[in-house]
Amino acid sequence: MAIIRFDAVQRTFSQGGKDFVALKDIDFEVQDREFVAIVGPSGCGKTTCMRMAAGLEHPTGGHVYVDRDEVTKPGPDRAVVFQAFALFPWKTVWDNIEFGLVSLGIDAAERKRRIEQHIELMGLGGYEQAYPHQLSGGMQQRVAIARAYVLDPKVLLMDEPFGALDAQTRVVMQEELVRLARTHPRTVLFITHAVEEAVYLADRIVVMSRRPGTIREIVDVKSIRVAEGWDQHKRIEDVMDLPSFVHLRTHVWKLLREQQAGELH
Amino acid sequence: MVPRGADANAATRHPLARLAHALAVLAGVILLWHLLTAVFGVISPARFPTPAEVAASLQQIVVEGYSNARLHEHVLRSVLLVTMGFVVASSFGVALGLAMGASRKVEAFVNPIFLLLRPIPPLAWIPLAIVWLGLGDAAKIMVIFVAAFVPSVINSYTGVRQIDRPIFEASAMLDVTGWRYWREVLIPGALPSIFTGLRLSLQASWTTLVAAELIGAVAGLGQILNQAAQDIYPAMIVVGMVSVALSGWLMTLGLAWIEHRAMPWRVR
Amino acid sequence: MLEPRLDPARFLALSAAGAASFFLFWSAAALAGLTSREFLPAPWDVAARFSQLAVEPFAGFTLFQHLLSSFQRFAFGFVLAVAIGIPLGLLMAWFRWIDRIVAPVFEAVRFIAPIAWVPFAALWFGTGIGGPVLIIFMGAFPAVLINTYRGAKNVERKYIEASQMLGASSWRSMTEVLLPAAVPSIVAGLRISAGLGWQSLVGAELIVASSGVGYLMVKGQAAVSTATVMSGMIAIGVVGLLIDVALRRVQQLIETRRGL
Repeated sequence: MAIIRFDAVQRTFSQGGKDFVALKDIDFEVQDREFVAIVGPSGCGKTTCMRMAAGLEHPTGGHVYVDRDEVTKPGPDRAVVFQAFALFPWKTVWDNIEFGLVSLGIDAAERKRRIEQHIELMGLGGYEQAYPHQLSGGMQQRVAIARAYVLDPKVLLMDEPFGALDAQTRVVMQEELVRLARTHPRTVLFITHAVEEAVYLADRIVVMSRRPGTIREIVDVKSIRVAEGWDQHKRIEDVMDLPSFVHLRTHVWKLLREQQAGELH
Repeated sequence: MVPRGADANAATRHPLARLAHALAVLAGVILLWHLLTAVFGVISPARFPTPAEVAASLQQIVVEGYSNARLHEHVLRSVLLVTMGFVVASSFGVALGLAMGASRKVEAFVNPIFLLLRPIPPLAWIPLAIVWLGLGDAAKIMVIFVAAFVPSVINSYTGVRQIDRPIFEASAMLDVTGWRYWREVLIPGALPSIFTGLRLSLQASWTTLVAAELIGAVAGLGQILNQAAQDIYPAMIVVGMVSVALSGWLMTLGLAWIEHRAMPWRVR
Repeated sequence: MLEPRLDPARFLALSAAGAASFFLFWSAAALAGLTSREFLPAPWDVAARFSQLAVEPFAGFTLFQHLLSSFQRFAFGFVLAVAIGIPLGLLMAWFRWIDRIVAPVFEAVRFIAPIAWVPFAALWFGTGIGGPVLIIFMGAFPAVLINTYRGAKNVERKYIEASQMLGASSWRSMTEVLLPAAVPSIVAGLRISAGLGWQSLVGAELIVASSGVGYLMVKGQAAVSTATVMSGMIAIGVVGLLIDVALRRVQQLIETRRGL
């Protein structure tokens, strides 16, 4: 049973009288508890796809379905982790995580239980009463992820969540996300322009090209990952050394490079 | 709040559409006003006039006159007083502000007097002006002067202080001194701030004049208000208020036009 | 600035010289005997009168009683302006239809100088407290509304999207997102509107009051007692300054708490 479905999705802008096709013929599904990454050059519309699933933007043609309902507006069932964190600066870590739970009408005792659980899950112990500006970028993004996870959403939408972090923090977060995804699997749509990140994290990768934004190819990662036993290696650098990883990564790179070359002519 | 598809509000952003919309709302308000006063009597005519009464008063003051003069004569008188006070005050004020901005010594010397006088609101000078100069025009000009002076000084001063340092260094390198320094470096650099100050000075001048005229005058917009209050003539009060608003608004527009001509390099 | 900063000693010396010149000039003019000392008092005459007014009633009350009266009116009008301005600003920022209805009316009425409401204030409230409160409200309200509206409208898109994604109702969006985000702008607006409100108070009391500092000055003017008028001016200036300093402190406290 599919959870996120893009059905013949188109997105056209009109600017100064002319029509500009941003997305064309986007057709794919994210299965239940599957981790799908969208990779593509900037401007290919990958973020727009995620925002349409979130209900923050709307297609001009076709439909986006989450759990068989068409997406019309944003909501806690489709939790978003933003690149810029978007934590409320005037609320503490605890209050930020609690915000969505209040909307769901969950009673105070249950809220407390869930928040404590996720504080521990994301390694935020001791920071409950801190304000976002007192935290590092990595910590803030952990809070953002906790805020999304705690909602027990149908789907999790992540928009280049590690893009604003420095390289070392980024690696740590990737490892943690993998750990989380294996122990608490969710349906995830993950946007990134970093190929290695996508190959490391995802079950499948949707490779997009731009002008107009279309799907180039959908690459299956999971079967190779399981067959080659990537999860046996705890550290990301060990996984990235494996020949199967390198092969897959190069394959995706080539897909992206070909369109770049095509564009230059 | 997030519209479906393309920007759903593009149509209402067009300036003409916005104007039409604003007029529609105002028309609605006038209709509501009419209903509340003339038709249903929710607001008694002793407290607030009907639209018809206001229209009649307007006609009266434009054609026959009220309180010793017709509307345009009142307007002219007020505008004249404001202009005189404003021009004199802002000339002195801008000059002093620029001097304070350009010279630390001038700033040091003048600062304490300024700090002492600044917290006193312009309207608070009215009784003093009346004691010293009586109830005539002289007192009004004095108060307008005080009202217009302070914002001009402050904004001219900050205007100079916020000029980018590299501009000063460039002018030193190009050996720009004396009158040229003022005319081609200081004043143009400070001009946006100066105009902000002028706008504030103008608004302050208007408010102060109306207040002064309310207290005692022979003619002028404030005098209309004063007389209408004494005669208990609500409809004329409304005419006076609207006249004050419109005149002030038009003068501000005039200033904006001058500002636009004076700073053609400014990106709007 | 190409002119180098003066060292503090020099700056202080020049400032002292400036202040001294001012008072010297004033004293000389008063002592020159061109007019009566009632008409043009010397600085020390004003100081004496000020102290006198602190204990002896004039025009019905002592200076501080008049000040209290004025401050009460100011407080009423200011609190009213804030109590209506902030919620209305938030509502206008969140609900476009409220914005479309209120904005044109507001823009039209805003241009009427607060003092122009005096005739209606007198008509509706006589010399009761309602009159000055109305005028203070008219003076203070625009800045509160505008600053609240602007602060709320300028909230970064990502916070609005986050609150929508998290399923917040309109009420929660306005109170838990817009309002906190707009606080810096609101507080800046409070300072401006307090200043304008205090100024409007003075104007109102010159005409429609039977107590208060403005009233004191009018009575002083009628008695041709410049020293009384000046004492009133000083009192008004000092209180206005204190209000501004207090609000500036509030502004600073909020800024440090938010880590701005």
